[in-house]
Amino acid sequence: MRILIVEDDLDLSRQLSEALKDAGYAVDVANDGEEGHFLGDTEPYDAVVLDLGLPVIDGISILQKWRADGKKFPVIILTARDQWSEKVSGFDAGADDYLTKPFHTEELLARLRALVRRAAGHTTDTIDIGGLMVDNRSARAFVDGSPIKLTSHEFRLLSYMAMHVGRVISRTELVEHIYDQDFDRDSNTIEVFVGRLRRKIGVDRIETVRGLGYRLLDPSKDLEQAEED
Amino acid sequence: MSEENNSEHSQKTQPQGGKSFVWGLVRTTFYWAIPALIIAGTGLILFFRMSTYKQFDDPLINTIQSLIAYVEVVESVDDVKIKLTNEPIDPSYQRALSGRYWLVGELNENGRIEPLMGSRSLYGATLTLPIQDARKVRGQGGNIVTSIAQGPDNEPLRLAIESVVFPGMGERAIVIVAAADKRPTQQAVRRFSYLAIGLMSLIALALSAAIFMQVRIGLRPFFELQRRIADVREGRARSVVGVFPIEITPLADELNSLIGHNKEVVEYAQTHVGNLAHALKTPLAVLINESKGKTTAYAKLVERQTTEMSKQVDHHLRRARAAARGQSIGEVTPVKPILLSLARTLPRIYRDKDLDIHISVNKGILFRGAQRDLEEMVGNLMDNACKWTHSEVNVTVERLGPTNAKIKLVVDDNGPGLAEEEYAIVLKRGERLDEATPGSGFGLSIVNDLARAYNGSLSLGKSPKNGLRVILILPTVVDG
Repeated sequence: MRILIVEDDLDLSRQLSEALKDAGYAVDVANDGEEGHFLGDTEPYDAVVLDLGLPVIDGISILQKWRADGKKFPVIILTARDQWSEKVSGFDAGADDYLTKPFHTEELLARLRALVRRAAGHTTDTIDIGGLMVDNRSARAFVDGSPIKLTSHEFRLLSYMAMHVGRVISRTELVEHIYDQDFDRDSNTIEVFVGRLRRKIGVDRIETVRGLGYRLLDPSKDLEQAEED
Repeated sequence: MSEENNSEHSQKTQPQGGKSFVWGLVRTTFYWAIPALIIAGTGLILFFRMSTYKQFDDPLINTIQSLIAYVEVVESVDDVKIKLTNEPIDPSYQRALSGRYWLVGELNENGRIEPLMGSRSLYGATLTLPIQDARKVRGQGGNIVTSIAQGPDNEPLRLAIESVVFPGMGERAIVIVAAADKRPTQQAVRRFSYLAIGLMSLIALALSAAIFMQVRIGLRPFFELQRRIADVREGRARSVVGVFPIEITPLADELNSLIGHNKEVVEYAQTHVGNLAHALKTPLAVLINESKGKTTAYAKLVERQTTEMSKQVDHHLRRARAAARGQSIGEVTPVKPILLSLARTLPRIYRDKDLDIHISVNKGILFRGAQRDLEEMVGNLMDNACKWTHSEVNVTVERLGPTNAKIKLVVDDNGPGLAEEEYAIVLKRGERLDEATPGSGFGLSIVNDLARAYNGSLSLGKSPKNGLRVILILPTVVDG
C-alpha cells in the first residue's frame, strides 16, 4: 500500500511518514501544495493524507483538481480547521474522511486502514484467505494460526495482493504500490520478493500468469470453483 | 482571554435623558413668535385707541373753536362781561344730562370751573378738573388740552379745554370747555382689545401647530432612516436602503460603511482566531505524537502537558470565536441548505453505519445570524445524533408562530438516549459521558454557548423512539 502525505510542517510529516512506514505502508511526502498535487496526479496512491493550509496551492483546491481529473484514491483531510463549515466544504470537495489536529497517530492509522480496505471492497482489517491471515492492523501475517516473519517490503507485497485477492496484478502495479518514489525501482526485485514470499506462505498460493503478472489465490475458493466446474 | 462573557457592551441612549428635537424647535419658535405677537397686538390696540380718541376729540375741538368765535366781550362801567352771540347747534347740548356738554368759565385753584355760561345739558352743574390738568391748562394758554372729569350724571367725561384771554379783559383768563361721555368709546376700545388679543392667541396657536407639523414632516426622513437601520439590525436587510433627501444620504452612506466595517472586523477576528488555531495545533500534534508511546518520565510529562495545552487551546479558541459571534449585524442564513449539506456529509463520516437521516424544513425558514455559526450548532447536534443513533436521525425545523421571532430545531435519534440527571452534565463545557467515544466532548456545550450568544436556548429530552431529543431555539427574522 502506498500513501501520499501532503503536509507543510516538516516535523509532523516526518512523524507521520515514520508511523506509516512502521505500519507497513510505502510513503511519499510532499511539503507544499504544488508538489503534492503533482505527485497525486502522476503516482497511483492507495490513499492520501492531505493538510488544508498549504503553501503554493491550498488543500481544498488540490483535492478539487484531483477529483476533476478523475482521481479516485481515498483522501483523508488532516487539518487544524475544525469548524463544520470547513468539514462540509472538505467533504464537498471530495474528501473521504476528516481528522482534526491535534490527533493521535493510532486514530489516523485506523482511519487510513478503513479507507484503504473500503476502497478495495473489504469490510475488516484482517483478510482471511483460506488459512492465510493478513492483519493490516498489526502489519503481520499468519499461516494456519502461526505467525510468519516478513520484511516490510514482503508485507507490503502480501498486503497489496491480499487486498486484491484473485485478481492478476502486473509487476508495474506492484512496483508502484509497494515502493515509495525514492526507491530504486527495479521490477526484477519483485520477482525476488515474490519468490521469498512463496517460500514463507506456500508456493502455490501465488500464481504466475505469464506476461501479465501475479495472482494471490484462495485455495478454498478455488476448490469450490473446481467443484462447480 | 478572560472567562467572562463581555458581550453586553452596547450603550443605549436613554429616552428620558435626551431632549426632544421637535419640542426644542417648537420652543425656540415660541421664544420669538410670542413676543412678536404681543408687540404687534399691543401696537394695534394703541393705534386703534389713538385714532378712536382723535375721532372723539374732533367735535369737541370744533365746539371749542365755535364757542371762541361766538364769545363777545361786553364792557360796562364796573365790570367786563362776556356773552355769546350764538350757541353750538348740536341738539344734545340742549337736552338735560345728554352726555355732551360745553362750558365757559373761570378755572380756580382747585381745578373747579366757575361757570359763566354753559350748555343746558349741564343742568346747572359745573365740572372739576384734576389739579395737574388745571395747572397744565393755565400754563398752556391758547392750546387745547384734553382732560377728564365727572359729569353731572356721574358719568366719566373726556373733555377738551382751552384757556383764552380775550382782548379787553386784562389778565383774566376764560376757559372754554367741551366734554362728552367717554363710555361708548371706552367700550369700543375694550372690545377691539379683546378681539385683538383673541386673534393674536389664535394666530399663536395656529403658528405652533404649523411649526410642530412642519418639524414632524421635516424629520420624517430621520424616522424612515431609523426604521431602515432597525431592518438591518433585525436582519431584514443587509444594508440601509431607501430614497433619502440629499441632506441625509451621507448619513445613510456612513451607516452602511459602518455596518460593512463591523462585518470586516468580525471576519478579521475570526480569520485570525482560525490562523492562531492552525498555528498552535500542528506543533501540539507533533509534540503529542512524539511523546506518545515513550515510557521515559520526560516523555510522560510532555504528553500530559501537551494534552492539557491542547484542551486549553481548544477551549479558549472556542470562547474567542463565541465572543466574536452574535455581534455580526444584518446576517441572515437560510436553514434548509445547511441541513441538506450536513445530511450529505454525515453519512460519509459514519460510513460504517447505515444512517437514515430525515430532514423536514420549509424552504423559507431563516436563521438571523452567521452561516458558520448555524453550521457549527446544527453540525454538532446532527453529528452527535449520528454518533449515538442506531440508524435514524430526524431533524425538524419550524417557526414558533408568525409573531414570534424564533425558530425551533428538533434533532431526534433512536440511540440509547440519556438519563435525565445526565442532561445538565453534557450541557456543561468540556464534559463527555463516555470517554471511549471519539470526539472532544465539547459538542453540546459549544452549541449551548453559541445558542446563548444568539439569545436562543438548548434543551434535552426523550425522542419518540426512546433516543435523545435535542431542542434548539434560535432567532429568525421578524416580518415587516
